[in-house]
Amino acid sequence: MTDKVLEFEQVAIRLGGREILSPTSLAVGHGEFVCVIGPSGCGKTTLLRAAAGFVTPSGGTVRRNGRAVTGPSREVAFVFQDYGRALLPWRTVRGNVSLALEAARAEPLARAARIEQVLRTVGLSDHCDRFPAQLSGGMQQRVQIARCLAQQPTLMMMDEPFGALDAMTREALQDELARLAAEQGLTVMFVTHDLEEAIYLGDRVIALRASPSHGQPSLAAILDVPIPRPRSQLETKEHPDFLRLRRELYRYLGHA
Amino acid sequence: MTAAELPAPARVSRRDTVTDWRAALASLPLLGAVLGIWWLASHGHWVSRVFLPTPEATGASLLEGLVGGELAAFTAATVGRMVAGWMAASLLGIVVGVLIGTSAAARAWIGPTLELVRPLPASAVMPLAISIFGLSGRMVLAVVAFGAMWPVLLATVHGLASVHEGLREVARSLQLNRLAFVAKIGLPNAMPDILAGMRLSMTVSLIVSVVGEMIASQPGLGQAILLAARSFRAADLFAGIVLLGAIGFVSNALLATAERRLLAWQHA
Amino acid sequence: MHAHLDPSPPPRLARLRPAVFPVLVLGLLEAWARTIGHGSDAIAPPTAAIEALAGAMRDGSLLRGTAFTLGAAALGLVLGSLPGIAIGTVLGLSRRATAASFLSVELFRPIPSVALIPLAMLAFGFGLGMEVSVVAFATFWPMLILSQAAARQVEPGWLEVARALQLGRADRLTKVVLPAMVPRLFVALRLGVAIALVVAVTVEIAANPNGMGYAMMIAQQSLEPALMLAWLFWIGVVGYAVNAATLAMQRRVAARMGEVSK
Repeated sequence: MTDKVLEFEQVAIRLGGREILSPTSLAVGHGEFVCVIGPSGCGKTTLLRAAAGFVTPSGGTVRRNGRAVTGPSREVAFVFQDYGRALLPWRTVRGNVSLALEAARAEPLARAARIEQVLRTVGLSDHCDRFPAQLSGGMQQRVQIARCLAQQPTLMMMDEPFGALDAMTREALQDELARLAAEQGLTVMFVTHDLEEAIYLGDRVIALRASPSHGQPSLAAILDVPIPRPRSQLETKEHPDFLRLRRELYRYLGHA
Repeated sequence: MTAAELPAPARVSRRDTVTDWRAALASLPLLGAVLGIWWLASHGHWVSRVFLPTPEATGASLLEGLVGGELAAFTAATVGRMVAGWMAASLLGIVVGVLIGTSAAARAWIGPTLELVRPLPASAVMPLAISIFGLSGRMVLAVVAFGAMWPVLLATVHGLASVHEGLREVARSLQLNRLAFVAKIGLPNAMPDILAGMRLSMTVSLIVSVVGEMIASQPGLGQAILLAARSFRAADLFAGIVLLGAIGFVSNALLATAERRLLAWQHA
Repeated sequence: MHAHLDPSPPPRLARLRPAVFPVLVLGLLEAWARTIGHGSDAIAPPTAAIEALAGAMRDGSLLRGTAFTLGAAALGLVLGSLPGIAIGTVLGLSRRATAASFLSVELFRPIPSVALIPLAMLAFGFGLGMEVSVVAFATFWPMLILSQAAARQVEPGWLEVARALQLGRADRLTKVVLPAMVPRLFVALRLGVAIALVVAVTVEIAANPNGMGYAMMIAQQSLEPALMLAWLFWIGVVGYAVNAATLAMQRRVAARMGEVSK
């Protein structure tokens, strides 16, 4: 029995003949918010996909709640980077969130209530009958998050979800996400190329190197973020620990 | 309704031609099964012998007709008509297309009329052509050229209209006159559309040639299969159909290959 | 069309602009037919053609001919596109099926539908069956090819979502794949409708003694140029109307399925 929600035991991944991830071990505890950063091509998206069960490791084991992962599962909610391609354009906001409940074979009556609740949580109640094409990028991403919440997942995987959004929307969504995660006690694995975002959001930051890197392992460092919550965009970014971590991680990324 | 709302004439993809040997091999079993069913159906009299000949009878008729008989001549006649009409149609289509496509005024005044005429079946003008030219080879050729002209014409106009504003400004800053613009920018930009239009044009050309032969009793495969049907010669009928299918197949394959070569820069 | 290249006329007049060129051409034709070409067996003045059209409307032949052609085209389209779409979808979803069917499709597809007219004549005699079967053959292949493409080109991102949500096979087909194919299928249907109409008229001109095409042939053979031109005009009108209706339907479906015009 373990209280670790997610464990990587010497997980290595090869794709198309190339080593994407060298044998890596890490663990994520219940309720933790873990951010994964690294330069392009370092395998952070692949690591996330392996955790979600989309990719089978070529070596080592991925464990979820103690059991080996063999494929995707409804316990894991995945938020894709390209929200345009992750929402069904012919379904309304309500319809898209409903998809998760239909897949889980939820009772039709219970479905409606859950959809309302989840949309209220992400602040999209007023737009529930709109189509994705009528929404801004930030709102579309919120729909995706709402759909993931509807799954009632144990784990939430997010692949650079705010990368395509403008700075203001990104900051707003970061705060919303942090609040949600705290409220619902979610365990989150968040991939980003934005250093500050990773430190701002995470309890821990996992830094990866570009692969393969002169015989060095993919995992460069795992750093704790001792900054107290709730965090704020202005003050947290001036916190001494924030600045220290920023300098250290910058160094790691620089060497990669 | 604009030309842009219908899918642009399908571009050639690598899968369109039979140079995909591996795919050809993998699909032999199903083809064999289809031929097998034909054999069974014809020998087992599932359908009347009158209109389903056996594969062997069809093959024999083909061989006979091509080697000693008139099928070769008929095929040549139909192909000749098809190609002549297609060449005239393409030339006409491009020339008229350029005239209309390069003049914004022409596009504005004449464009809508093109859209009105587009859905008209090419064969529909045949009675009119018969009135003018009588039942002759010239009539068939005229209708083929007229009918096959439209895909090329519309493709040329569409291709010229789709030149990016940026390229137009480049032309203006280089002070290119209209002819130079058409030759160096307009037509090359329109080339993918025009070539696809020409392929479609060939299909129309074959169809109208066959119909023309049937109606005007001109020597060719069209007339041959009609006569075969009237005399209940099913094997000869099927032989003719096979040849027409072959003409369609070969002409399309040749054009597709030519199109791929000419547009190699697109796949580069 | 680049509006800034020509001065835009006041809006009310602009709506008449598409009609100017055809009216001009018809006017010239009218003048020619009433003077130099008077008494010709081939060309009649457009005004005489309109009279002939009105006459055909009155004696019911217009309705009969149009109903037959449209009916045959519609029936043939249904019989051809249903199997075409079904098989095309299966082929598009299964790489193995596509590989297995390659030769069979590529060898039978290029057969021109008109080549089957004598065969259909032999099998069904003259009438509805013959025309419907040729139209069905003509529409089957494009619908197959286009549905195959539509099934193959379903956005991979949506399929990943289905995988992430663990949608069952049936659900994935009905909730993701088929709805994703609908816009492209409607575009294909527009093409199918156009082909069905063209082939139907062609069959009537070539052989079948029914419908609009045949009426036009008869008018020509009886040396009635006005009636012949009337039918030619009418066929054009029907073709335009049917295509416009299909386009409107396509747009309606697109709007209902969340495609917002920008």
